[in-house]
This record gives sequence, C-alpha cells and structure tokens, in this order.
Amino acid sequence: MRAPATLGDGLVILCAGVLVVFSYMQFWTGAPDGPASEVRIVAGGDEFARLPLDQSRWLDVPGPAGITRVEVAEGAARCAESPGTQGICQRAGWLRKPGDMAVSIPNRVLIEILGKTDPTFDSLNY
Amino acid sequence: MSAGLRPEAAIVGLFLALALGACAEGPKIHNERMLAFGTVVELSIYTADTELARAAGEAVRQDLDYMHRAWHGWEPGPMGRTNQLLATGGEFSANPSILPLILEGQRLEEESKGLFNPALGGLFALWGFHADERAPAPPPADTDIRALLDQRPSMTDIQVRGIRIHSTNPAVQLDMGGYAKGYGVDRAMERLMDLGVEHAILNAGGDLRAIGQPGQRPWRIGIRHPDGEGVLASLELRGDESVYTSGDYEREFSHEGVRYHHILDPRTGQPARESRSVTVIADNGAQADASATALFVAGPQGFAEIAAAMGITQAMLVDRQGIVHMTPTMALRIHFEHQPQPQVRIVEPPR
Repeated sequence: MRAPATLGDGLVILCAGVLVVFSYMQFWTGAPDGPASEVRIVAGGDEFARLPLDQSRWLDVPGPAGITRVEVAEGAARCAESPGTQGICQRAGWLRKPGDMAVSIPNRVLIEILGKTDPTFDSLNY
Repeated sequence: MSAGLRPEAAIVGLFLALALGACAEGPKIHNERMLAFGTVVELSIYTADTELARAAGEAVRQDLDYMHRAWHGWEPGPMGRTNQLLATGGEFSANPSILPLILEGQRLEEESKGLFNPALGGLFALWGFHADERAPAPPPADTDIRALLDQRPSMTDIQVRGIRIHSTNPAVQLDMGGYAKGYGVDRAMERLMDLGVEHAILNAGGDLRAIGQPGQRPWRIGIRHPDGEGVLASLELRGDESVYTSGDYEREFSHEGVRYHHILDPRTGQPARESRSVTVIADNGAQADASATALFVAGPQGFAEIAAAMGITQAMLVDRQGIVHMTPTMALRIHFEHQPQPQVRIVEPPR
C-alpha cells in the first residue's frame, strides 16, 4: 500500500519548483545576459537589426557614406564591406564574443555581439 | 475547531513568496552602446527601472548628437559659423552654446601654458585630423606648419565683450575636439541625474564620468595598455568622478614607415613623441580632457609642472619607454593588471 504524501514530500516538491523558476530566470532569460546568440546593428541613432548568429545571411546597412555590408555565418558576424577610407570597420574581423564590436564612424554604423560581457571591469578607459 | 493558520500552510506560503521573489527584477546594470562625438559611447546605468534606463539612454544619445553637431568646427552649425565669422575679424554675437566653450578654452590654454590650444584648428586641418575619418595623405609640409605657427593663433586673440566677440588674428580657427567631448559628457551626465539616474557610467571613447556605485561595490574601471588591447591598470570609483585617458593609438596613420598620431604639440606642430598615454582623474570633464592632452604634450619632463599649473593632483603618464610616471595621489589608486608590471616613478607636483 502506498503511504500518503507527507509535509516533507510537499516541501521537497516546492523546493524543486522554486529551483526551476530561479534557474529559468537566471539562465534562460536571453540577451543581453545570456550567451552570445545575437548581433545588434545600429545605424545612425537607431537599432537597424538584431539577428541570430546561428542563421547565415548578408545584410546591407545604409548610412550617410553609403552601404555597410554585414555577414553573419557560423556563430559570428563581421563588417564585410564599408565605405570608410581606412577599412577600420572591416579590420575588426569576425565578432564572436559578447561585447565584440565593429564600427564605421563615417557611415555611423555599429555592429556588436550581445550577451554577458567580462565582469572584471564595468568600463574600459581607452 | 480553531480557524488559525496551520503550520504547513505558513511554510507553503513562505516558499511561494520566495518563488515570487525569484521572479521579481532587482537592480542591475543596463548597458547601451551608441555612436556620438565621432566615437563609440558606452552608457551603464544601475537601476531596477528598465524604462528609466531606456529613456535615459535615448536622452543621452540625442543630447550628445546635438552637441557634436553644434560644436564641430568643420561642419555646418554654430561652431562652423563661428569659425567663419572669426576669420573676418568683425565683431558678432556669439552663439549661446559656443561662448561658454570659448571662455573655458581661454582659461585652459592659459593654465596649460599654451600646451593645450584650441585656437590651432588650422593645424589639425593641415594634418587631416579634423575630419571624422582622415583621408589617406602624407603628413603636411614643414613649411606649411611653420607658416601657420608663425602667425601664433591663440585663444587670447579672441576678444570677448559680453556676448560680442571678434578675433584679432585671422589664423585663429577653433577646434574644440580636445575638451568639447569632456564638456559634453558632463552636460549629458547632468541630464541623467535630472532624469533620476543615481548610479551610472558614461564613457565616450576614453572620456569617462561615473556617479554612484552599482550596489555595495565601487565601479571598476580598466585603463587600456597603450601597446595593445589589454588592460594596463585598474582603479575603483565611488561617488562622482571623471577619468580621462588620451593615447597615441586613438587616431593615427602611417606614411613611409613612420607613424603619426593626433596629439599635436602646439610648439612644433608635430605629434608629441615623449608620451604614449596619459590618464587624469578630476571632477570636471573639460578640465580632465584638456589636462590629459596638455600632460601628454608636456611629456615626462613637464609632467609635474603642468599638472600643478592645471590643478591636477591625480594623473598618470606612460612614456615612450613604457615607464609610468604618477602623482602620489594617483599611485594610491592605481592597481596594475599587466604582467610584467611597469617601472614606476612617483612625481611630486611643485606646490
């Protein structure tokens, strides 16, 4: 014969429930506190696009100096082409880690990987 | 039978409250990046109010964007117009957003003994550093540089009578790039505080001001190593302080194997060569911004004298050999993160 559930059983189930809720809040609530999964593209002052890193694609971002071409592939993103004369945006290379970014100042385009960044410093002076 | 709360129900209620508490959003750091003043601006706000963080970020972006356009000496706008009128020599009414910057520039040039000179906009234009992105070109000819310096453009050439101003020197061209960003960061931080933000960092490409603190700990700031992307040193900030770093890596170009950077020595018209980077802590953004530039130009030899003249007690200079020169007060706050640690010289500013 099965024994009836006790108060202790109830508490165990309740604790498990609390743990599930807490774990969900802590680990599954997505960007910007989750792992690197998205790239955010800002054109001028506005967010132009937010793309998942696991879907390969090209995106043309218009700006005052022309078109900045962004490539997303294999969990990373890069500034493939941009109208700046020094290639500073392209030199940032593939962006993979949260906080990685490429910038085209003349075309006013910012490409950044979202996610939890290095907690060692709140800001870098450079 | 008693209608009182059963112990089991009380325990279940307690755990339910804990579960709900886990769902509630506590204060956290909201980070946002934006483009303004020709650089990447990073804003970190510590708050539980997500809507406040969003609205504050938008307000800062709009303010910095306006200030950048208004104070750019080479684009249509109040500062560009001011430069056109100064070149005529005639008297005119200064734009209200420009006059405080001119007065501040006059004070900073005097305090820095001329090592910081925003009237040398023509020199920056000769080098091509006035544009957001420098077009590929060789460095300017020495004869062109000398011809400009011989005219001795100075902020003291601008005569101010109330709001009416005129220039007695046609070579005066204002370029506020050396301190307008710091001035702008201060104004933007005031706007944040007006909106109710109590704990924040605003970092405009090395021009950083922090207020409050994130919870029970201080803000932690890393200072870039001038040789690369790593962190040379760190420091902690509480309350309201500005940290400004100027380095030879910020804007540069190479020509025939020689590197040229954007921090120009007003005495020679050439990039200052004795320093790699300077970090200043102060409570005034424009002062910190201009001081970092002036100390960079002064180099290790003039570091103590110029720091004292500009009222800076917390400053650090990395010279071209990698030796770190620091004031005693700065040395108490700096923690080196880079291995091997650099050679350090403590420099006592004259009283």
